[in-house]
Amino acid sequence: MRIELKREGGIAFLPGLNRPRTFELGDLPPAQAEAITRSVHAASFFQQPSVVGTASKGAADQTRYTLTVEVGGEGAEGGRRHTVQLLEPVQDPHLHALLELLKQAERDLRREAARPHG
Amino acid sequence: MRRVHPGWHRHSLYCILPPYVVRTIAQNGSPAQRAAALRTMAVDNTFRALRLTSAVGAQRVPTRRIGGMMAESQRQRFIYNMGGQEGFPGTLARSEGQGATGDVAVDEAYDGLGATYDFFWEVFGRDSLDDGGMPLNAHVHYGMNYNNAFWDGQRMVFGDGDGDIFNRFTIAMDIIGHELSHGMTEDEGPLMYFRQAGALNESISDIFGSLVKQKFLNQTADQADWLIGAGLLADGVQGKALRSMKDPGTAYDDPVLGKDPQPAHMRDFVRTWEDNGGVHINSSIPNRAFYLASLKLGGCAWEKAGRIWYEALRDMRLRPDCGFARFARITSLCASRLYGEGGTEEAAVVDAWGEVGIKVTREKISVARVPTLKVPAVQPSGRPSA
Repeated sequence: MRIELKREGGIAFLPGLNRPRTFELGDLPPAQAEAITRSVHAASFFQQPSVVGTASKGAADQTRYTLTVEVGGEGAEGGRRHTVQLLEPVQDPHLHALLELLKQAERDLRREAARPHG
Repeated sequence: MRRVHPGWHRHSLYCILPPYVVRTIAQNGSPAQRAAALRTMAVDNTFRALRLTSAVGAQRVPTRRIGGMMAESQRQRFIYNMGGQEGFPGTLARSEGQGATGDVAVDEAYDGLGATYDFFWEVFGRDSLDDGGMPLNAHVHYGMNYNNAFWDGQRMVFGDGDGDIFNRFTIAMDIIGHELSHGMTEDEGPLMYFRQAGALNESISDIFGSLVKQKFLNQTADQADWLIGAGLLADGVQGKALRSMKDPGTAYDDPVLGKDPQPAHMRDFVRTWEDNGGVHINSSIPNRAFYLASLKLGGCAWEKAGRIWYEALRDMRLRPDCGFARFARITSLCASRLYGEGGTEEAAVVDAWGEVGIKVTREKISVARVPTLKVPAVQPSGRPSA
């Protein structure tokens, strides 16, 4: 399974944080990958509409997340791909949990990258 | 116990008074306060009347507007603790008149809301965001490691930051002023949150956010740092703030954040579909025009430049899709109405816009380079080279 997380909006345009980040679940620690996979299913991600949440009138500086989940292989969901845009605040508890897991994975990767090599 | 500002007449009731009574009351202030109050009343009434009778401007209910006739400030602050959750409203942690809680985010939000309220009241005689005493609600400790602050149309929301990139978002008073100013712009404008109008919307929030901080610190235009979000970037991040109104493009240059993409001049205007058409990117062009005008006008930026921009925001010719050039012309017209036609104030405003590539003339408005959206997605680094 591959997941892309793209962030838009927020109080500033920060080019480094606005770049989409792709997670190959196979490259993540197994426990984290499993938690994310479970969360994708718990959220019924492939049944979600393409936009979740509504922008309220006069709102500003809110973040918008675009999640794309792609499933490879021959399984029941093999070859499927779906994109959902989440507007803050994310009310659906399962989608919220999925987003938090991805943000955590992103933070872990960032911390790892910041660590000196060798 | 409600807090009342020194220098203003104290009255036990929230009251609406005819302008001549307000004028008498205003005489209890210092000569400078008196002059400001009298100018506020005179200007407010004229421009407000123009606006309410115009087809373009008559978008809101006029009955709730009491504006310059308010005689006393009426701060109503409510700070809610979200405790890491995202479901509003959270728990009420501090309301108006209560003492410090010891929770730094709660107390910073309370003080920042107070400074913002006081700024608009003392400088423009504006009673809260809607000029009708609207209570100010802030929600802190929103989400886990949450890296943002936003205005949702009714309330301000602050995350604690993840500690890696961002500190808590209440740390910068100008950020609090920025979010609240979005509420004022929505009430006065509105300005569409897209492309140039959206960049103006953002710029107005940066301008008044910065002025709230400058007035709190009692700084003149040349003493202020003109940074938005100073102190917000965590230790180790290579940068000093989110934006620089004085030197756009120099706020940060960091491996994780990337490089500050803000242009300082119209020739570097960034065409993009991202960020609602670059609202947080190109806002630097009107931001810098305001900074330059403030320096030329001297003294404290809120005294003249701030007033001119405030009146421009309230001007009947401000349309929801207003672009930079039109806004520039409105500011120059406001400068001449407030301080005299052909005066040094008008010249300072016109020169400031000229320095960022927007030429303002009496007859027509021309722009150094009128950008058009042709490319579906241009990364901020890929600015037009011309």
